[in-house]
Amino acid sequence: QETFTWRVQSHWPGASSSYTDSLVRLQRVLDERTDGRLKLKLYEAGALFKAQDTFNAVSRGILEMGTISPSYAQDKISLAGIASGLPFAFRNVWEAEYFHQGMGFEQMLRDEAAEHDVYWATDKVYPTEMVVKKPIKNWEDFTSLKIRSSGVLQKFLTEAGAAASYIPGSELYSALDSGIVDGAHWGAAQGAASMALYEVAKYHVQPALNIAGTDVIIVSMKALNKLPEDMQEIVKDALDEQFWVRTNEYLYKERITLAKVIAEQGVQVNVLPDEVQDKLVKAAQAMWDEEGERSENAKKALDMLKGYLAELGYL
Amino acid sequence: MSIEILTLLFFGSLLFFLLLGLPLAFVLGGVSVIFLYFTWGFDSFYMVASQIWGTMGSFTLVAIPLFVFMAMVLERTGVAKDLYRMMHLWFGGLRGGLAIGTLVICAVFAAMVGISGAAVVAMGTIALPSMLERGYDRKMALGVINTGGGWGILIPPSILMILYALITGVSVGQMFAAGIMPGVLLMVLTVTYILVRSTLQPHLAPALPPEERGTWPEKLRALRAVLLPIGVVFMVLGSIIGGITTPTEAAAMGVLGSLISAAVYRQLKWSILQEAAIRTFKLTGMIMWILFAAHAFSAAYQSMGAQDLIEGMMQHIPGGPWGIIIAMMVIIFFLAMVLDPVGIMLITLPVFMPIVKSLGFDPVWFGILFVINMEIGYKTPPFGFNLFYLKGVVPPDITMKDIYTSVVPFVIIEIVAIGIIMVFPEIATWLPGVFF
Amino acid sequence: MSVLTAFIRGVTRLNDFVGRWIALLVFAMFAFLLLEVGFRYLLNAPTVWTNELTQMLFGVYAVMSGGYIMAHRGHVNVDLLHSQLSPRNQAFMDIVTSLIFFIFTLALLWFGIDIASESISNWETSYSAWNPPVWPVKLAIPVGTGLLVLQGLAKLLEDIAIAFNLDYYRPDHSASEGEQS
Ligand code: NA
Ligand code: NA
Repeated sequence: QETFTWRVQSHWPGASSSYTDSLVRLQRVLDERTDGRLKLKLYEAGALFKAQDTFNAVSRGILEMGTISPSYAQDKISLAGIASGLPFAFRNVWEAEYFHQGMGFEQMLRDEAAEHDVYWATDKVYPTEMVVKKPIKNWEDFTSLKIRSSGVLQKFLTEAGAAASYIPGSELYSALDSGIVDGAHWGAAQGAASMALYEVAKYHVQPALNIAGTDVIIVSMKALNKLPEDMQEIVKDALDEQFWVRTNEYLYKERITLAKVIAEQGVQVNVLPDEVQDKLVKAAQAMWDEEGERSENAKKALDMLKGYLAELGYL
Repeated sequence: MSIEILTLLFFGSLLFFLLLGLPLAFVLGGVSVIFLYFTWGFDSFYMVASQIWGTMGSFTLVAIPLFVFMAMVLERTGVAKDLYRMMHLWFGGLRGGLAIGTLVICAVFAAMVGISGAAVVAMGTIALPSMLERGYDRKMALGVINTGGGWGILIPPSILMILYALITGVSVGQMFAAGIMPGVLLMVLTVTYILVRSTLQPHLAPALPPEERGTWPEKLRALRAVLLPIGVVFMVLGSIIGGITTPTEAAAMGVLGSLISAAVYRQLKWSILQEAAIRTFKLTGMIMWILFAAHAFSAAYQSMGAQDLIEGMMQHIPGGPWGIIIAMMVIIFFLAMVLDPVGIMLITLPVFMPIVKSLGFDPVWFGILFVINMEIGYKTPPFGFNLFYLKGVVPPDITMKDIYTSVVPFVIIEIVAIGIIMVFPEIATWLPGVFF
Repeated sequence: MSVLTAFIRGVTRLNDFVGRWIALLVFAMFAFLLLEVGFRYLLNAPTVWTNELTQMLFGVYAVMSGGYIMAHRGHVNVDLLHSQLSPRNQAFMDIVTSLIFFIFTLALLWFGIDIASESISNWETSYSAWNPPVWPVKLAIPVGTGLLVLQGLAKLLEDIAIAFNLDYYRPDHSASEGEQS
């Protein structure tokens, strides 16, 4: 019996909970279900490739598997912007789950990725939430904030009226500590805790800036097609299952992390006042249409999203 | 082929081509490409290009050209020279006074930068000529700069500590706090060494003859020379601590400070700035091409299965918890001879940290040992990056052999420091306990 | 003057010219970082573009330096053994080790062209809030590596001339042109 070893480049550092919970889990599941015929060799973020190059490496078949954030594949996948999360679209994680799996957004992503010889499987959907040094009590408070942000959210926060700037992760702690910025987002509670941000910023802001499939597992089609058919099915089924298992587990861990930092580090949840939320939603909706202009496919996905949100009574 | 044999071949060929005189950057890059070809195939060269692209995008490295430029301006405009003249007038009577003064400047520099490299190049430019001019032994002067220049990663801010915290999940603030007393310990040990050595062998770090020590009015006038450097330090440190800039942006404040100093000296001329810019370009480029290749090298080694090697080794360590910790230090010491700190972290920490924690050791304390070990690695032959950075600035008559041999006592001092911190962990753990 | 002499001089001059301009980017990096501090601290309005632009300039600055530094013998090596040899034997040795040099730089050139052409083919942008084109920076990888390869070729030709006593290159003549800084 032939055994296969796949090199897997993660976009998570080894200490990140997702590295263990997502990748090591997948490694174990695939090993068990293929009776040891498929081994994953895991590499931490940046060990082999720059995180932003992982999609290309998998697409060329140099790597068999990898994990990315959709934003790393923006130039190839026109839906990546929507997959990374439009600000203030979903209000609950289950809504994003249903959008991906029930309404076919995941399949649309998979079809686009297939054109680059990549099999796309969202690892999980989860919220992105901010931490700030001073609570936001009104619109004034929000617009006077200096926030560390990145990508589409940086643009959103800037257009909404805050001063968002990009600071690399390695300098984020110092920047928050010394007050160069007053707030930042790095995932939600688990991400912020892993970066030690609660040491220097005690307010956890809710609701989420967005809820989206921000972690993705990608597989080289070349590598996948080399497997015997039964193993191909095992891989695909394991990835489908991974989405549900991980999304649920992640939410659970979010809650216990938040409870822990509230109890141990004196963190407080800062729920944005309605006035602020309304203004942010308006600013967000003005931005959505830009994402729809990226391609025919993006427009289709955006229309689908708007119809869905209308159905939910949010628009 | 097993990873043990691959490792021997990989590092063996590195050593071989380095001894043949090919520049370090090309040896690291070339050996990586050859081994990648045989272990992974032609397509894997994409990894080399990707690592270079990744290094180009590392924002914290932007501080290198700026701090080097700052040093070049301070040197060319005479600010640095006057500073050393002042130190000589005041401490010239003390044997080793200039070396100690240099170490103090290094410590201040270390508080301004979060990386190694910039400080070594800067101090090699500013301090080395001043010490050599005044009859200091070449090896003493080189060793002092090599060791002091490496303190940037132990005294906060430190990018290396942030990365360690990120990979192991300990608190960044605790790491920063934990680094302060070991930093002081290293300073005390190094200064003591210089005092003892220059008392025993006065020719190594001669005192100024009494007739040249200057009168009090002269001394007081010379004190003006400190004002500008202190101003520059104030601008950089003040803007970091005051929350005005990130450590990287603070480098720009340093440049601004050096330009103001140049203006005060009436030396703010295009010819001087242009020359400083070109020297900065050469030195930064040299550092960057070494880093490009070093990152590719680490990635190649990891792709060959470096972590399996470490895991395998850890299963054969006798000697109880302390034996394991010491074995880890030895492994890191040897890896640090040839790999960059980030690569070492990625290879060793995922294996080491669970063991360290399960043995009941404090991961913050271990982090300090780790960082000091990295500092040692920066200056251990044959592949200490500080050694190469220093070689890039010294006059041509100083050979690699001079630089290699200069570090020996300073490496021993740092190993002693690691030993002391192992015996008295409180040196590292006390301050974080107070703050957090 | 033979073609080879012209090539050696031409490449060195080209690298010198490029290097002297690229070196000035340090002023731009300084200015942009300072500008960002000013905007954020004094006006409470950080920009979306200064840090990213500085970063991009730095990437170009770093990768374009290879050839210039080689022209000025600035890439450090270990001279333990090397410095003991006669100039002719040094040249022989450098001819042998140039193989490693070319393996590295040509692999980098090949994949650098690959990365850059892919980026240019879809006019890749960074997708940050500012969203500038990144292809010019990626293009700097093959360009900078190409300049390094050219200078490496020039050095190889020089070494061959010294090793075999050929007259297209005489180190004494060009010594005055070599070090300028
Ligand atoms: Na430091
Ligand atoms: Na070393």
